[in-house]
Amino acid sequence: MAEVRVENLTKRYAGTPALDDVTLDFPDGQFFGLLGPSGSGKTTLLRAIAGFVTPDAGRVLMGGQPVEHVPVESRQIGMVFQSYALFPNMTVAENVRFGLDVRRVSGPEAARRVGEVLDLVQLRPYAARKPHELSGGQRQRVAMARAIVTRPRVLLLDEPLSALDKSLRLDMQIELRRIQREVGITTIFVTHDQEEALTLSDRIGILRDGRLIAEGPPRAVYAAPPDAFTARFLGEANVLTGTPEPGGLRLPGGTLIAVPQGTTAVAVRPEHIALSVAEPAAHNRIQARLVGRIFAGAMGTCVLDWHGQQLKVTDRDQDMAHLPDTGPVWLSWADDKTIGLKD
Amino acid sequence: MLARADRGRLAGLLAPAYLWLTAAVFLPLSAMLWFAFLTDVPFGGREASLTLDNFARALTNPTYRILLGKSLELGLIVTALCALIGFPCALVLAKAIRGRAREALFLLVILPFWSNSLVRIFSWAIVLRGNGVLDSAVNWISPWPVDVNLMFSQSAIVIGLVHSYLPYMILTCYLALQGIDDALIEAARSLGAGPLRILWRLLIPLAAPGLIAGAVLIFVPVVGSFMEPRILGGRVGTYFGTVIEDQFIAVFNWPLGAALSFCLLAVVLVILAIAAPVLRRAA
Amino acid sequence: MTLRIAGRLWLALVLFFLYAPILAMAAMSFNASPFYQLPFTFSTEWYVKLAGNAEILAASWQSVWIAVVVTVIATVLGTAASLAFFRYKFPGKRLLQALLFPPIAIPWLITGTAMLIFFFAIGIPRGAPAVIVGHVALAVPYVIVVVSARLAGFDPLLEEAARSLGATQWTITRRVTLPFLAPGVIAGGLFAFAVSFDQFVVSYFLAEPGDMTLPVLIYTAIRKGFTPEINAISTIIIVVSMLVMLLAARGFRFGGDR
Repeated sequence: MAEVRVENLTKRYAGTPALDDVTLDFPDGQFFGLLGPSGSGKTTLLRAIAGFVTPDAGRVLMGGQPVEHVPVESRQIGMVFQSYALFPNMTVAENVRFGLDVRRVSGPEAARRVGEVLDLVQLRPYAARKPHELSGGQRQRVAMARAIVTRPRVLLLDEPLSALDKSLRLDMQIELRRIQREVGITTIFVTHDQEEALTLSDRIGILRDGRLIAEGPPRAVYAAPPDAFTARFLGEANVLTGTPEPGGLRLPGGTLIAVPQGTTAVAVRPEHIALSVAEPAAHNRIQARLVGRIFAGAMGTCVLDWHGQQLKVTDRDQDMAHLPDTGPVWLSWADDKTIGLKD
Repeated sequence: MLARADRGRLAGLLAPAYLWLTAAVFLPLSAMLWFAFLTDVPFGGREASLTLDNFARALTNPTYRILLGKSLELGLIVTALCALIGFPCALVLAKAIRGRAREALFLLVILPFWSNSLVRIFSWAIVLRGNGVLDSAVNWISPWPVDVNLMFSQSAIVIGLVHSYLPYMILTCYLALQGIDDALIEAARSLGAGPLRILWRLLIPLAAPGLIAGAVLIFVPVVGSFMEPRILGGRVGTYFGTVIEDQFIAVFNWPLGAALSFCLLAVVLVILAIAAPVLRRAA
Repeated sequence: MTLRIAGRLWLALVLFFLYAPILAMAAMSFNASPFYQLPFTFSTEWYVKLAGNAEILAASWQSVWIAVVVTVIATVLGTAASLAFFRYKFPGKRLLQALLFPPIAIPWLITGTAMLIFFFAIGIPRGAPAVIVGHVALAVPYVIVVVSARLAGFDPLLEEAARSLGATQWTITRRVTLPFLAPGVIAGGLFAFAVSFDQFVVSYFLAEPGDMTLPVLIYTAIRKGFTPEINAISTIIIVVSMLVMLLAARGFRFGGDR
């Protein structure tokens, strides 16, 4: 078990930086979600920590020790690949035992540990099966078992759930978290699915174009995203731009939002906005035209047009039932739900 | 099932090729089997009757058994050398080189394979003989005179055959290795495995179909070879294949030649039968 | 790191091994010495002599025109069979496909001698026709493999679409399938040419002593003793074969991209 740290990590491919001066701490025993659009560098970062990618500049430290020059085989990591990469010529048990064979763990001891970890992922009855006889979810669990049986210092997961269909994915997310909590390994989890990252992580880091743009516990980053991109990437956000004035931000239509100096735009999450036909009393209010309604079961989304920009408001469907199908409505929200952005 | 019109078209498309193969390969093989049971060539006014003599001679005469053993041994040596030399090449090509370079190098390896095998053996004859290229090269380097004449020896035959058949093994192993997902190797490395362990537990088992296919493609022709032993081996180059050639070209004892051929065919079919299930499972 | 270097070094050594004798032979063909002895004096004497060697020229011509005939026949037969395998499902398909292997898998010694016996038995004399029959039988499996590989990339729905528009089978083949197939057919044809042109064993048994193909001529000449013109013609053959294969490989690949 160890904490991991990368310092000023930089990696270029044909001139463009895949990683641009990234410094990040992965605390010991915690589940860290690395999030970002494709091409953001998150997989490159993971592979640099694993050792498959040699950085052009910067350091990788595990347990305080620099490991940039330590080969992959010696870094004591456990890794789960997007395709699981189970050895097709070996059974489940042999796959899981592979890492122990490398470490010359003896027969009975190895068998015991393999059994233990297969129990943990609830696959002991399948020990003699070959990978091609397993379902996607089962293969995923074997890959996990194989990675953790060697008690690695850090567990690296490269989009391990993206090959699964939705319902299975949700189940596996819970499984993954349970296993990680039980074993307590420092875990770094790469995904492009922000919901997944929010659900699973103790801390998240958001990468864009090779740079780290946000980092912290999921709730904190969600409540206070540093820029419009993050606000939109993590959850949904309505970004309202206006003109800075001495008192705050003047929005088109006249409303003045009280915000600190330097704020150029505000973001408000769809779930924090209330809709009404009559003008509300709140400070933060704007008027827009209702153009559509999306029904999604318990919840619903209203789509509005505000000076040519599309806004979204989500609420319980029954609470929006009284609204007309089209026409002008008022949007209002509480002060503490205003997210100030300095883009 | 197929409509009548389709059946007609199907027959029309397949018939020519298979009729040709029947006439040129399958019927001749049957004819040869028939000949093997004759006492003499049954034409030109000669008497011929059925006999088991030819097979008896083929199977009991110690010379033929020794030569068959010699041919089988040659097959094993050449196949083993091709595997040892070729597998690492295929591995380098499949896993260590990418893109344009890989295509170009692969083509370079395969190209000689498609040139005339007789001419390539001839080129070895030039290189290996006394006062030939190899002799001169060695003498040029070594401070004292050395007589390097490898011609007319088992070594020359082995060199020539390995040279001819090596591309087969490289090709089959390359195709097999190329199909191995890189992520598997990365996974093995992440678990701490070094190159030897990856080779032994992962690459060779997964590339086994390639090795076996290559082995079959090499072993079978080598066991039946006569041209290479004759040219490179001279008097030392007597093998089962050369004996068969003699029956048809020099001695004109076709029935015996046919019987010997069938013994060789039996050996070949046994090998193919053993290898087939392994290869089919991989396909 | 060192593994990578060792690997590349090994590959380089193997490539050297593969090409060294060929290059040596080619170099020697330009050497004045008639006994392949060094020192090396440049001379095109043997190529000149070659142009005047009637026997070699006749055998070369024999090899070429036989190869052309074989290419045409084998390509037609093989392409037809490939189309059959592609279009239709029928009982015994697996067996028929397996039957394509004997000509390639059985040592040519056995096939050649068997052909010799059979043709003799049914009264076909040794000579060009017998050689052609034999060569086609050996080439057809290769053509089928190459053309089938190309067909694997062809969408069978295209043919069905054409059919639904009312086209006859022949029109479909001519205007939809064959244009796509063309690079594969050409590659298959080049393979067939190479198989026939380079074929030694079967030609050896089926050719007439007076009317030989080039490889057979070379073999008998070697058995008797070297003449340097053999070296020259051998160099030419190797260069031609390799060029043909290079074309086939290029055409095949580019055709696949289209």
